[in-house]
Amino acid sequence: MEDHEILTKFQDPASRNLAFNQLVRKYQSKVYWHVRKMVVDHDDADDLTQDVFVKVWKHLENFRQDAQLFTWIYRIATNECLNFLSSKRRKFLLPLTDVGAELAAKIEADPAIAGDEIELKLQKAILRLPDKQRLVFNLRYYDEMPYEQMAEVTGTSVGALKASYHHAVKKVEEYVTRNTDE
Amino acid sequence: MKTAFKLDAHPRRPRPLLSEPPAGYFDKLPTQIMARLPQAETQQATGWNWLRFLSPALRTSLASVAVLGGFAASFYMSGSAPLVPATAPTAALDAVPRTELVGYLLTSGAQVESSDLAILTAGHPGIAKGFLQVSEDELNEALDAQPSDDATYL
Repeated sequence: MEDHEILTKFQDPASRNLAFNQLVRKYQSKVYWHVRKMVVDHDDADDLTQDVFVKVWKHLENFRQDAQLFTWIYRIATNECLNFLSSKRRKFLLPLTDVGAELAAKIEADPAIAGDEIELKLQKAILRLPDKQRLVFNLRYYDEMPYEQMAEVTGTSVGALKASYHHAVKKVEEYVTRNTDE
Repeated sequence: MKTAFKLDAHPRRPRPLLSEPPAGYFDKLPTQIMARLPQAETQQATGWNWLRFLSPALRTSLASVAVLGGFAASFYMSGSAPLVPATAPTAALDAVPRTELVGYLLTSGAQVESSDLAILTAGHPGIAKGFLQVSEDELNEALDAQPSDDATYL
């Protein structure tokens, strides 16, 4: 079902639930993986994905179609992730690096990555980035999202996003190089 | 010398190497999300949707009127309630034929005191005429024969 069709059906109380169910089925995987890349843990990603869609439900009626539906949902998901990570830091009074180390430990324990040393180092390097820079890196490197769309999601200018991604790549490359055996 | 790692040279994946979510996760997720939606709130909001078109000041006024109306209605309802039990016994007694009432009073051993008569005749002066067939002289004679303390009621 196309986005405009979902939105039209959502406006009608009789077909609202059906339309929203279609919306969830269409975007759940993308939202889940967007969140999962940020929080690493499946259970956290599951909770946050559900929270994201509940928020989408609450605010969809007021969604102005000057942005793409998916960009708008991505923005909600991004804010949920950033709030989750910063509240985790506040709750346990942890500095930035400790949350990164905790996420790195989760990645290390994940059987999917076991044995792939370079991939593990790459993931550890990504997790050392500040949250917002990591978000920019994920959107560009993994999702291959155009900068203009990234600007809509993050509310940051295209120039700033390009600079942020460039610095993120440098940091990642340096970390992996430094931590690789000869 | 270490070989510099270049991200462009590394095979690009659509996402990091993380374990997949549990089997069937994406089949169950929509149901879980739908169950968490605030349905009741939305249905109620739909019913009162017209309120959204009113200005905040008008909505406040409307709420005040509704509260005052509620008070007025509860006051009116509580004021009229005691009338019902007061009228019910009178209506029930009115339905009993007078001859049955007189018969009951004469045979049941119920004592009608002169004080009862005094109270009844004060409210309804002609009440005794229906069943007490006596002349005025006979009444005066009976009254003269009453002790002085009972006579003060008549």
